[in-house]
Amino acid sequence: MKRFSEKRGTLISVVDLKQKKYRAVYWSFFAVMVLLVLICLVPVLWLILSSFKDMNEFLQVPPTFIPKSFHPEKIWEAWQSMHFGKYYLNTIILAGGSWLMSIVINGLAGYVLSRLKPKGSTMVFTLILWTMMMPTSVSMVPLFMTFIDFPIFHFSLLNTYLPMWLIAGANAFNVLLFKSFFDSIPISYIEAAKLDGCSNLGIFTRIVVPMSKPVIAVVSIFSINAAWDDFLWPYLVLKDTSLHTVMVQIFTMKTTGYPADLHIIAIMFAIIPPCIIFMIFQKHIMEGFSLSGIKG
Amino acid sequence: MERPRRAAGVREQRRSHVGRLVRSNFSAWVLLLPSILLFIIVMWRPILVGIVGSFCQMDGYTAVGFAGLDNYKAVLSDTTFLTALKNTFSYVFWSLVIGYLPPVIFAVMLNELVHWKSFFKFSIYFPTMVPAVAASLIWYFLFQPGEGGILNMFLGLFGLPSSQWLQNPNLTIPLIVFTMAWRGFGSSTIMYLASLQGVNGELYEAATVDGAGMFSKIRHVTLPQISGVMLLLFVKQIIGVFQVMVEPMTMTDGGPNNASISLNLQSYNYAFNYFQVDKSLALSVVTFLILIVLTVVYFKLNKRVSEN
Repeated sequence: MKRFSEKRGTLISVVDLKQKKYRAVYWSFFAVMVLLVLICLVPVLWLILSSFKDMNEFLQVPPTFIPKSFHPEKIWEAWQSMHFGKYYLNTIILAGGSWLMSIVINGLAGYVLSRLKPKGSTMVFTLILWTMMMPTSVSMVPLFMTFIDFPIFHFSLLNTYLPMWLIAGANAFNVLLFKSFFDSIPISYIEAAKLDGCSNLGIFTRIVVPMSKPVIAVVSIFSINAAWDDFLWPYLVLKDTSLHTVMVQIFTMKTTGYPADLHIIAIMFAIIPPCIIFMIFQKHIMEGFSLSGIKG
Repeated sequence: MERPRRAAGVREQRRSHVGRLVRSNFSAWVLLLPSILLFIIVMWRPILVGIVGSFCQMDGYTAVGFAGLDNYKAVLSDTTFLTALKNTFSYVFWSLVIGYLPPVIFAVMLNELVHWKSFFKFSIYFPTMVPAVAASLIWYFLFQPGEGGILNMFLGLFGLPSSQWLQNPNLTIPLIVFTMAWRGFGSSTIMYLASLQGVNGELYEAATVDGAGMFSKIRHVTLPQISGVMLLLFVKQIIGVFQVMVEPMTMTDGGPNNASISLNLQSYNYAFNYFQVDKSLALSVVTFLILIVLTVVYFKLNKRVSEN
């Protein structure tokens, strides 16, 4: 158990806590947090517990929170009968492409705007920043029109993952994240490489990238997670059910009349990967988020 | 013989310097080109096409003629428009009540705690990692009306009558907002927490010496520190919630009886369910204009506040 003496100077100081009144305030804060944690975790817990119930208990009135029947084998059967591996694979393909675009295209843009700054690039940067404030509602239908009949080349991108990859390549937020990271790299490294006759691309791949592991890690986690969560564009673009991603699948299951217990298991499958990512990269994610928030 | 050679050398150096500048500018632009193209294709061109298209008559997804303001007249005179507009403001209102202030309060509380702090941080952020569609569906199941609903069972434990939840037109928007807040408040809390941790502890000590109570410390030390983040999140929240679409689409599909339809969802329905693309474009331009006005008003207000 931690001690109060570890407390830093905040609203209620260590000295205050010697008084009963302040201790009561402290523990009531603690109680509020416990309640909040329950609200945060219980729905997911309910989902996981419900996945193990058999059909009878699932439909029972009144429902149970802690299952009386326990059928772990049901989960494996559901995975196979719904062919969920296919949806996982599709989503992994989608996320892989989006990830590559975020790292290469947004990273290069951040590098050029931060370090090379060719004449006129500040205007490009302003235009890119504006897209962060721009409401995206107007572009939904025109973007869909772009994807069914791509300008100049006139081919359709429906039933491919390209639309989502293209959108991932135009992520102002990541460009900003990369740019502000590259801004913090000491100029002397880059100048030394320039004197040695290194090209722009060479400086980027040999000097900047190896120094940028933290920002690459943050952008990777965010872009992979965003691709896993992405629903609207995959839903609009992937008409062929064999191409469905996990999110599209759990959405369409609601309207196509799947049994509710199978649907619950599918939702559980959908949240497991991001939960694992969060468990592993907890620190990266929370730090990366607050960092990007303050800068953005 | 010495001098001319040196002069030539300098000239050559200068020329090669200019050459290098041009070359490096050129190669820099080449590296930037893919991004520029993508931003044009995905961001800028669609906005222009959308605005132009809203004045056109559409057949499927191709413009077949000029329509003037006809699309706008049709959209604005549709009775659903007023409902959707009213609902969208209702979404924003509830999101400010349910989603905006609580993270500030939770962050201030969490910042005080030493016990279980990292567990609290982890759990509060956890729902943010649940994908939006999955979160909407989980709460859709939890909000099941009738005796079979799990939340109604809990209400029953406390002797309370069952609720219709999302089926109740007065509750449906607050409940959808609650679902969005459930997913979103963790990240805001963590952001406030990060800026609270930057407060110099001596400020609080000085305030204590001056005899300040808890509330005046909050007012004079804590709030000034996070007011910047608060303003930022305020605008982000309004702009974000004003464009709400996926959550009502997943949870209620705009129902019951259009009680939860939003401007964007209506625009989506026009485009992808009713196949009236021109009306969809006109409606989204209207939404766009309202948002631009809100953003400009915000910046004006913000400027006036910081000037005073």
